Amino acid sequence: MSGANAGRWFRLLLRFYPRDFREEMGEALVQTYLDRLRDESALRVCFAALRDSLRNGLGERLRPAVAWRRNGNWGRDLELVSRRLRRSPLMLAAILGTLTAGLGTFAVVYTAVDKILIEPLPYRDPDDLYMVWQKKDKFAMTGPHSAELPKAAASGNSAIEGAATVDFNLLTFPAGPNSDASRVLGMRTSPNLFDLLGVQPALGRGFRPEETGPNSPDVIVLSDGLWKRLGGDPEIIGTQIRIGAMPVTVIGVMPPDFRFGASETAVPEAYVPISEDLAAHDPLVGDYLIVLRGRRGTSPEQLQAAVDAVGRSVDERYNEGRNRALLIVSLQTDLVASIRPVLLALAFTATFLVLVLTVNLASLLLARAAEREREFAVSRALGASGPAVVRATLVEGGLLGFIGGTLGALAGVWGTRVLLALGPIDLPRRDSIALDWQVAASVIGVGTLIGLLAAAVPAVWAARVSLASLLSGMAVRGGASSGRMRRSLVVVQVALSLVLLSAGGLVVRSFETLLAADPGFKTQGLLTFGVGLGEWLFPKTADSFAFQDRVTEALHSLPGVKSVSATSTLPLGGGGSVSWFTVPSASEKGDDGPDGRPGFRIFTRAGYFETMGMRLVEGRTFESARRDGVHEAIIDQRAAKHFFGNRSPLGATLVFDYNPVTIVGVVEQARLVDLYKDDAYLHLYLRAEDFEERPWRFTVRTDRDPKALLPEVRNLIRQIDSRVAVSEAYTMDEIVAERRSRERISAVLIAGLGLGALLLVAMGLFGMISGSVSRRSGELAIRMALGATHGRVIRLVVGEGSRLLATGLVIGIPGIYMAGAALQGFLIGISPFDIPTLVVVSLGLVAVALLACYLAARRVTRIEPDRLLREGG
Amino acid sequence: MDRDRRVETLLPLRPVEFSVLLSLADGERHGYGIMQDAKERGESVPDVGTLYRALARMVDQGLIEASDSRPSEAGEERRNYYRITDIGLRVAKAEARRLEALTRAARIGGLLSKEAK
Repeated sequence: MSGANAGRWFRLLLRFYPRDFREEMGEALVQTYLDRLRDESALRVCFAALRDSLRNGLGERLRPAVAWRRNGNWGRDLELVSRRLRRSPLMLAAILGTLTAGLGTFAVVYTAVDKILIEPLPYRDPDDLYMVWQKKDKFAMTGPHSAELPKAAASGNSAIEGAATVDFNLLTFPAGPNSDASRVLGMRTSPNLFDLLGVQPALGRGFRPEETGPNSPDVIVLSDGLWKRLGGDPEIIGTQIRIGAMPVTVIGVMPPDFRFGASETAVPEAYVPISEDLAAHDPLVGDYLIVLRGRRGTSPEQLQAAVDAVGRSVDERYNEGRNRALLIVSLQTDLVASIRPVLLALAFTATFLVLVLTVNLASLLLARAAEREREFAVSRALGASGPAVVRATLVEGGLLGFIGGTLGALAGVWGTRVLLALGPIDLPRRDSIALDWQVAASVIGVGTLIGLLAAAVPAVWAARVSLASLLSGMAVRGGASSGRMRRSLVVVQVALSLVLLSAGGLVVRSFETLLAADPGFKTQGLLTFGVGLGEWLFPKTADSFAFQDRVTEALHSLPGVKSVSATSTLPLGGGGSVSWFTVPSASEKGDDGPDGRPGFRIFTRAGYFETMGMRLVEGRTFESARRDGVHEAIIDQRAAKHFFGNRSPLGATLVFDYNPVTIVGVVEQARLVDLYKDDAYLHLYLRAEDFEERPWRFTVRTDRDPKALLPEVRNLIRQIDSRVAVSEAYTMDEIVAERRSRERISAVLIAGLGLGALLLVAMGLFGMISGSVSRRSGELAIRMALGATHGRVIRLVVGEGSRLLATGLVIGIPGIYMAGAALQGFLIGISPFDIPTLVVVSLGLVAVALLACYLAARRVTRIEPDRLLREGG
Repeated sequence: MDRDRRVETLLPLRPVEFSVLLSLADGERHGYGIMQDAKERGESVPDVGTLYRALARMVDQGLIEASDSRPSEAGEERRNYYRITDIGLRVAKAEARRLEALTRAARIGGLLSKEAK
């Protein structure tokens, strides 16, 4: 290659450099290459120049960033630390792996709590919103005073800003050309509900103040979901749709995230005005719910006092001064209270995981610091100040924590998806559940904090290291003090993990109890569905029973159907209509007798108990043939015990809402509310025909897959009467699974946290023991040279680990009590100090920990005594 | 005092920076001359790009400066010559002391044989 060609080549390579550098140095650079060309082979210089320009050209382009990093001491520390970390990739991987796993789990739990368990209330100032209940004994019932509280608010009450009256009904959408008739849950409301909640329709408008009462226009506001099911056409505003036989005008569509209902499961999809004149409503009879907004800045106590005053004035005027206390319950408090035990349990375990993680990281960093003992001592000897060493160590911890937090947040994104895919979690806003930037920022913050905290231990230790201490400790190698510190960290880890694991074990056992819970009936092979039996379809109740009979008969003809019945209230549906029960013989006459109790009234048809697989304790169930004039009733065991003690209730009279009924049977309770504990309210089963009630929920027992029966059922009902809508079709097993979903998620999360802790403690012990083996390799080599077998030496090393393990277990025992106390409200059917569970958990921890010790101790076999001793290790 | 602190913040030097200062302490050099010096001292010779980047940086830091008067060698006009500044000299000395202390520590720690003393 000629000099001119080479010069062109070198100039071409200059292009890699940034312009200012090229202009300043370019010619000199080329000249130097040309100088080199005189002494060395052309090809070599040209290749070297290429490599050189690639590296330095790009490096020079990145220089502003580098300069920024180098700027100041912290920046310089950062650079040194990252360079040092890159030099020990294994250690780095171990630390980051630990942090990623731990913080990833933390991120998933955080997201789950934030997005699943605490659903935010999407209203204006939600903490000012309350529901009003009537308090009777220790029970809360839907309150009366439907008109009085809104009236008080309207007349400028100082505490009550506004009150809305609501209740629920089912709306039937008639069959279209391509669709079956369908039913949705509707809410009847006073016109001010949306204003009170501070949410306006996304399309169209809300109700006008005059749109209420007997002469209200037939208008409807749709939920976003229902609107989309109806085609999602924005032009729907102002058009008419049919509800039952009645045309109604769509005036608005609510925003997608608007949900307002009495419970999580009963969220209305359409809103219509109350057609009753509330002012003329009997103030003592209350089936309406009252939603109340306190004025901004009003305390719950002040609001309660204002509500009490209204209640008292009503009682004086209408109720002969008899006091019915009113109770206000904050929407927010209510929501949080229901999930408080779960939150407590999760917060407790997550905190412990973070603690374990911190201790684990601290011991890893301490191990690192011990390896760099000489470096510390030398830099101290050369005049590096204590604070400088501390700072460098803290920067290292913080940097590791920050990177670990970032990786953990990324792992959390993935973990959240896995969690959602794990179980059939039927959540209303499932798609919106994802790790957001707030959670990510918190996780990264926690990671950095953990890093700094963990680094504090080795930082303090490193600052004390001096050349003198190094020289005096030279014989021991590795420093005794850091070893002691590491051993105590392992003990702490074992103790913390024991607490976490026992929490996890208890929660899993409790979930097992929940899985095995017997709700009082056979849940398998049961299909339930609702049918619309509105008066617009069947003006006379007898017609609706005739229709039900035809459906029942047709269902029986389906292959695999064993029995069919119907009820007004399904078990595990969350509750039902409540009445006040009394037994006249047992107390003074009247509906408010002192021995009265509230209970659910459940209207069923014959064959209901057999279809549900409920257990009869005494007497008989309803027979198909019905005797006129006799109102039969069946009560649950709790009611029998409450009213009759050990006497037989058969033939006795019970009164509900002024209706006397004769008890013919006693059944075990088929729970309406909770899976695993009896309802607080008593149960009263009544024959639907006796009270002209329309039990619209069919129950079908089959030996086939109940879900597979559904298309045939729909088809059959369409043939009998195509105007009738089938709704809320679920198998009982689906309902049970839905009831368990919150416990399932929590159990998965807490068990995950426990396993995370187990992994961490195994890693901690492994690291500690391997460190100890390499530190003691000289001593161990001598032992082996003197005739100790590998087995003996391994036992020696594992023995060191098991002593730490035992100490940790003993220290952890008080922690188990803490965990038990934190979990108390959450555990079902198991004591927080369940000995078998705790023993199994401890044994599991010991087994895993010993395995980790053994695996680490096997490094002993790699010691070659002759070589080691020769080198004077 | 202020200058001392300035010297402190520049330590430790990169190998290539120390190498440059070492060469220039002996008199003015151009780039290739610095590389040849390093070779003679038995150090690893820096890449040309690495060297010139270091030179640019050290000029910015005031450790060295481009020289105006060039020793007439072969009438080469395009070479840049550099010379060491006062601060550069101080930094080089401080670095040398640092390395010496480090070497001493290494000897105490058994990393270097003691008879070399």
